[in-house]
Amino acid sequence: MDGKINASDYILNCENISKAFGGTQALKGVQLHVKPGEVHALLGENGAGKSTLMKIVIGLYKQDEGTMTFDGKPYQAKGPVDAINCGISMIHQELNPEPHLTIAESIFLNREDTNGIFLNKKKQNERTQKILDDFGFPYPATTLIRDLKLADVQMVEIIRAVSTNAKMIIMDEPTSSLDENETQHLFKVIRDLKAQGVAIIYISHRMAEIYEICDTVSVFRDGEFIGSSPLKDITNDELIAMMVGRKVENQFPKVDCPIGDVVFKAEGLTGKGFNNISFEVHAGEILGFSGLVGSGRSETMRAIFGMDPLESGKMYLNGQEITVKNPRDAINKGICMVNEDRKNFGLCLHRSIRENVSLPNLPARQKGILLNQAREKKEVEEYSKLLTLKAASIEHTAFSLSGGNQQKVVISKWIMAGPKLLIMDEPTRGVDVGAKAEIYTLMSKFAAEGMAIIMISSELPEIMGMSDRVLVYHEGSISGEFMREEIVNGNVTQEDILTKAFGIG
Amino acid sequence: MASSPKVGQISKQDKIRSIMGQYGIGVVLIIMMIIIAVMEPRFLTLSNIINVATQISINGLLCYGLCICITTGGIDLTVGAQLALTSCIIGQTMTNLGWPAFLAILAGVAVSTAFGFIDGCLIAKFNMFPFVVTLSMQLVIRGLSQVITGGRAVMITNKWFAGIYSNKLFGIPMPIIIFIVVTILMYLMLHWTKFGRYIYAVGGNVNAAVASGVSRFWVLVGVYTISGLLAGLASMIYTSKTGAAQSNIGVGYETDAIAAAVLGGTSFAGGIATIPGDVLGIFIIGLIYNGMNMIGVSSYFQSIVKGLIIIGAVMLDMVMNKNNH
Amino acid sequence: MKKKMLAVAMATAMVLGLVACGSSSAPAATAPAKEEAPAEEAKEEAPAEAEAPAEEAAAPAGADVNGDGKVIVGYISKNFTDPFHAPINARAEEYFNQAVADGIIDEWTGLLDGETDPNKQIDRAADCISKNCDIVIFLPAEAEASDPALVQMANAGISVIEVNSKSTSCDDLAIAYVGSDDVQAGNMLAQWVVDNCPNGGKYIHCNGILGNSAQLQRTEGMHAIMDEHPEFEMVGDFDTKWDGNLASDAASDSMAKYGDDLVAIICDNDGMSSAAQKTCNDNGRSDIICIGVDGVEVPLQMVKEGTLKATVLQDGVGQINGAIAIVEALVKGEEYDPNPVIPFVLVTADNVDEYL
Repeated sequence: MDGKINASDYILNCENISKAFGGTQALKGVQLHVKPGEVHALLGENGAGKSTLMKIVIGLYKQDEGTMTFDGKPYQAKGPVDAINCGISMIHQELNPEPHLTIAESIFLNREDTNGIFLNKKKQNERTQKILDDFGFPYPATTLIRDLKLADVQMVEIIRAVSTNAKMIIMDEPTSSLDENETQHLFKVIRDLKAQGVAIIYISHRMAEIYEICDTVSVFRDGEFIGSSPLKDITNDELIAMMVGRKVENQFPKVDCPIGDVVFKAEGLTGKGFNNISFEVHAGEILGFSGLVGSGRSETMRAIFGMDPLESGKMYLNGQEITVKNPRDAINKGICMVNEDRKNFGLCLHRSIRENVSLPNLPARQKGILLNQAREKKEVEEYSKLLTLKAASIEHTAFSLSGGNQQKVVISKWIMAGPKLLIMDEPTRGVDVGAKAEIYTLMSKFAAEGMAIIMISSELPEIMGMSDRVLVYHEGSISGEFMREEIVNGNVTQEDILTKAFGIG
Repeated sequence: MASSPKVGQISKQDKIRSIMGQYGIGVVLIIMMIIIAVMEPRFLTLSNIINVATQISINGLLCYGLCICITTGGIDLTVGAQLALTSCIIGQTMTNLGWPAFLAILAGVAVSTAFGFIDGCLIAKFNMFPFVVTLSMQLVIRGLSQVITGGRAVMITNKWFAGIYSNKLFGIPMPIIIFIVVTILMYLMLHWTKFGRYIYAVGGNVNAAVASGVSRFWVLVGVYTISGLLAGLASMIYTSKTGAAQSNIGVGYETDAIAAAVLGGTSFAGGIATIPGDVLGIFIIGLIYNGMNMIGVSSYFQSIVKGLIIIGAVMLDMVMNKNNH
Repeated sequence: MKKKMLAVAMATAMVLGLVACGSSSAPAATAPAKEEAPAEEAKEEAPAEAEAPAEEAAAPAGADVNGDGKVIVGYISKNFTDPFHAPINARAEEYFNQAVADGIIDEWTGLLDGETDPNKQIDRAADCISKNCDIVIFLPAEAEASDPALVQMANAGISVIEVNSKSTSCDDLAIAYVGSDDVQAGNMLAQWVVDNCPNGGKYIHCNGILGNSAQLQRTEGMHAIMDEHPEFEMVGDFDTKWDGNLASDAASDSMAKYGDDLVAIICDNDGMSSAAQKTCNDNGRSDIICIGVDGVEVPLQMVKEGTLKATVLQDGVGQINGAIAIVEALVKGEEYDPNPVIPFVLVTADNVDEYL
């Protein structure tokens, strides 16, 4: 789409970069040109090659072919530390928080303030505090990372990248664990950086955000560079078409289906982070839970699934009162939960897809005391086909999959368990546009088959597009309820839900 | 792309690669065998091969126990002391109390299994570090074996018991039979039962395992109990072999067992191990001893040679694995 | 909550267990507590005393060297786990308990566990010093590394009797050494093989833990004889660490390699030689001559039933009896032999009953 490139106008030039892993060609002669002081969006489905390209830029991988220049000079980083020294910082999508470090230690990791060989903690803490204050970050520099919320950890990562005085910052899904408010705060930070001439490479699957904050977009698909354009010149539909190579007709393929009997009923559930929660969910219904991160939605669901203790309250499944001691108990009774934290609670990354999918479903698949592996294999293959899982073989490790496909593995394992109630906490976090639509289609399909689905989401379009009914959380209690008709009619807008979530209404 | 190879080719290459990655240590084993055979032709005689297979049975059983503990992210340092305790119980009950051999073995193995169970409970129930628990229990267990025998060696004359080591079935010595049976059972347990899957899951990602309905408690208790049971069986072979029960045996035996497990591809990070890999590791350790004895390495150098071979084997394995990524 | 209570309960049980275990040795444990005051006095005097013994060592000092009016005997074992040491320790325990009861001595420390570890032995020596011992019977684990234990105690004025093996400065600092000559044992091993294999042949040697003085001296004694006999060829010298299992493996490996050429297996102890002989017998090679040193129960039993032809007995109980005789002489103020040598005994089917 670009005409002739004049390299000197750009801070980063990547030319004709190729990279293969074993037999897989991850990048095929791609290019990327980023101007100083611009926010440059990278778009593409997972597996399109964005992450690989960024890892080459920060020196984690070495390209097989191609050259780069940065800041007018030939550039080739030997590793992330080298990249930082050259002026390029990256905020990773998968956070690597060191829980036992303080904020100051985390921010100055690998470049500690020292007196000779000794750490100068005092100076380091003072410097950190100043940076935190500049950001309006409301914690002392000596707070331990493990005492922070996920969103705050994300913020610390951002501050760390900014504090290296980088000329270019790569942000990989920086808002995936932030709520509206925090996202806006991040955008303010980005605008400030931009004003100082810092270039930002912004990777996200959230189209609204990209239109809000970015100037230019480059699109990748299947390891190839598809095109680049100023965002003001291109529509949302055009972008999606470029990304998936076809037109996605409907972003939220919700199929209305008859709502059946009450499957699950909660009465006055109280526990750590939530208080007196009561609701019902019916067969065929997708019940959306909206609210701010940390408002107690996930905590409630973890307690229902038996992962955390419930202090009081009653639960009914198909009219029968139940108690849930642990997740095994919940699974046996027909309650399954897709956890929001895929890496820590969803998958054993270094085990195969087959083992991950069948893990909760082994007791029913035994011949005597041995596993019926032939049946297991057949069923896992069926479910992975049903969920359009893209993997060469179910014997590959979960680690080798993209985010979207990993999520499909997690969903497969719970669908295989045949739940009556399926709880999905942030089902599309870190999932690309194409896979998102596929997951939504599946949700509609399962609901139509009579499953009750609870979906927790921080993305309002997703909540409004997919839910039959929306419950809004505010500080551990339900603060509002909206029906699908009201949303479809336009009687209820994003603002209405946000007002309830902030507890203003 | 013109350069992209045919699909069929890739999958075949991939298959070979993945087999190489998993069992590349087998190549190390073959190289070792060739070197030893060239230096000492009598190494490849049937009698010596049976001899090696008999010798590895003790370390083999210990290795399986350690392997599953390591796979859950733990370690079992008690196996050496368990060897001594079971031996002492067998000796005392059989020789000094006159129990029949079968009952004495049962008592000894039951006690080592019970200690494994206690280790597992302490680790799983109180979240204590496996290293600390088994390091301390090892002292308790060895102390107990001293108390039982008063430090004296107990002679075992029971012919039936001696037969556990020296009898042959179809020309194959009993220790090999025991080793093969245990290997098959361990293989089935780890690769063909849900308990095996749970071991991998708890070692791979304990949070995800629990969130998938796996009971961390029973998996941990299970692996340490099995490790105790296997140490008891190993001790039975040991005691039958030396014909004596005493409390100072088995010191440092966990090191050989750990080395065999690591050579076999057991990951200290947890969640990764295979029984066929372990078998290869066990044979490598056995060959180091047998090979050095056959070639006649000076006694003062044997320890150094052993250490260097282990490091070299692990490095070679890593280099071969690296080519796969 | 449940977990906490369980943890507390377990901890309590453990402590109670300790108390229960401890109660059997309670008299020894509580006695020093009563003597706290004199103990402190003694400490003040200690520096003055410390210089004295070097000059006085020649003349037999009285039993109560530190002049606190009590004769306290210490006993630092080599270990509690080795079958050779078990009867030695048992004999010492039996005698000193009786001696305290009979009023021959006032107190003794009980058996202190040296854990075959020089470092632990040095710690135990410090314990003996702080318990105001007058006489300490010490079985060094290592010649060099255990020596500081002796130096420390001798400097504190304690009369140290070394038993079983010598530490480096034994001749200078200990008042007596009761032991056997391991080189002689090595000679006996070799001589037995020479006498029983008149045609010579190939033999292997199984070492103890390399560097142990017993390993070094027995090996030296063995070579002294074997090297004089060119009809014998040593074809293997194995690092078998006093471990019967390893010796058994060395035996089967060597049988596989040398077949009928292998005539003898010489071991640094008879835990190894009995295990090796058993393996030979199991493989139909009872003609191979296995022999080792110590005379612990199992090899003796094997000699009795005829499955092992001979073993060289180190008279451990004889050694400790020698030390006890010196203690008694000290108490009575009598003369004593500071270097009694307890001879090794070749045990065969003819004389085995005397030692079982």
